[in-house]
Amino acid sequence: MIAFENLEVRYAAAAAPALKGLTLSLDRGIVGLLGPNGAGKSTLLKALLGLLRPSAGGGTVLGIPLGAPESARLRGRIGYMPEYDALIEDATAYEQVAFWGELSGLAPEAARDRAHEVLYFVGLDEARYRPVSGYSTGMRQRVKLAQALVHSPELVFLDEPTNGLDPDGRRRMLDLVLRVHAELGTGVILASHLLGDVERVADQLVILDQGQIKAAGSMAGLRRALARRVELRFLDPLDAAQEAALAELGAVLESRNGLYDLELAEADPPAVFRWAEAMGATLIQLTPRHDRLDEVLLRALHPATATTGA
Amino acid sequence: MPIYAPTLPPAPDLNQGQPPALVLMRFDLARLWRQKIGRFFGFAFLMVLIVKLTVIYVKYLLDTNAALRPMQDFAKAVLSQGAEFQAGLLDPASYLLWFLVALVGGGLVARDTLYRVRPLMYAHPVSPRDYLVAKLGFASALPFAVLLPFVLLPWAMSLMVAGLHGPVWPTAPLRLLPAVAVLSLLMGAMAVGASAMAATPRAGVGWVLGLVLGTSALASLVQGLTGFVGAQALNPVLLAQTWPQLFVGMDRPFMGWFPAALGTAFHIGLWTFVAARRTLPSEAVI
Repeated sequence: MIAFENLEVRYAAAAAPALKGLTLSLDRGIVGLLGPNGAGKSTLLKALLGLLRPSAGGGTVLGIPLGAPESARLRGRIGYMPEYDALIEDATAYEQVAFWGELSGLAPEAARDRAHEVLYFVGLDEARYRPVSGYSTGMRQRVKLAQALVHSPELVFLDEPTNGLDPDGRRRMLDLVLRVHAELGTGVILASHLLGDVERVADQLVILDQGQIKAAGSMAGLRRALARRVELRFLDPLDAAQEAALAELGAVLESRNGLYDLELAEADPPAVFRWAEAMGATLIQLTPRHDRLDEVLLRALHPATATTGA
Repeated sequence: MPIYAPTLPPAPDLNQGQPPALVLMRFDLARLWRQKIGRFFGFAFLMVLIVKLTVIYVKYLLDTNAALRPMQDFAKAVLSQGAEFQAGLLDPASYLLWFLVALVGGGLVARDTLYRVRPLMYAHPVSPRDYLVAKLGFASALPFAVLLPFVLLPWAMSLMVAGLHGPVWPTAPLRLLPAVAVLSLLMGAMAVGASAMAATPRAGVGWVLGLVLGTSALASLVQGLTGFVGAQALNPVLLAQTWPQLFVGMDRPFMGWFPAALGTAFHIGLWTFVAARRTLPSEAVI
């Protein structure tokens, strides 16, 4: 779906590149794009939309090279739901979704028919003839999603789609995101600060910081790679020398009643068995602790300080 | 509680659509229709047009009706059939037109800025050039469409009632339509340039009026201080009035071809450049 190698994007006025050395390949699925403000998420989306030409490296989106002259055609195959409002306040939902459909290349009559269908899909069937200025936040977010889907894109970029929504609205929006991928086969890139949202829908994750990829891969794979916390229990209490030697494996975050909460220096749990055998300790329990996504994110962004954050 | 569709069928073929600039212009036209300001201006322009047509008919009656023969000498002095009369067909309308262009054109770009829809347009297969062409095209097509009846209806009526010897020249459209095209482009460029500098449609109206009246005042000030008549080439109101005079070959137009062309090119170039710069994709928005 998307692949780039050593991608660098530099703004004309900036001394440092906004994106540097990005190498990544993403399969069709739901990709969560995480990172703090200024990490380069928006720049990456602009580059993927073909609005910014790479200053070095390159890549392809849906088989079209980044920055190529045919990037305008590429934008007809991509849907984009911006984070900001971007709604035409004096138009009805139906009028503006049909308008965006026409701008994407649909014939006028087809765009009007399609606007009805897609507004029904996002649950705005009954409200479609009302000006959007009277819509609730949830309805406005759904209009934005509808305009991104009106032309049946192969890939859709959703920038903070659950911003400002209550828990029920968030759940409904995330259900729609899941349906977009599951029923329409559309690839989704979901940029969000709400880790719970990404955790719920994404099957791949990219963590960006300071224009660089800190971690990327499938959610399960990332968890495995970054999950270094284990709980250990030994048959006999460790003596002082053994406890001191335990530090060879990683940082001991907590120990009580013979139970050690350990963060391994390497994501290599079998190393614990080798250590126990070498130290003559009988290990009776090794429990991997499944990190939550926010712990994964923190560890990727701040590897040096994450060990004390338990 | 929203009701969701069971599924979404695939979209039709994407390659059947119209050019993006045309889609944008049609949407602006629909928006203008919704705003309903056409009623006021429609009435005002209709009144002006009726007066024009009445004058032509009265002149025809004076020329042909024996009972009115004593008034003919007087009428000939008042209702000239010369170049001035042809150019004057557009005069009153063009004053009112500046206000229409300000009211409609002032919001053309500013409204997209306010609603932040322009970056989203550029995330579609729309280039900044498409956007600029659409806005300039619409802002110029509006005065052209308004002035078209002022050229064609008196001409057609004159032909119908008096044939080739009516008060409006048979060749008048060939001379006036190019003039209308130039002054429409001038009005459109100024409206779009001013609107591109505004953050809201209301501010856009102010910007258009400010630019038009401001440059006119500046031109008069420079002329007053230096005595340099060519300074009036900066005056967009005067430029718009001059082009019909030049095309119909009036003896004493407000200014000559060269200063009119220079001033018009300056305004169109400057405000198109401003609009182009202000509507480029922003690096900070998407």
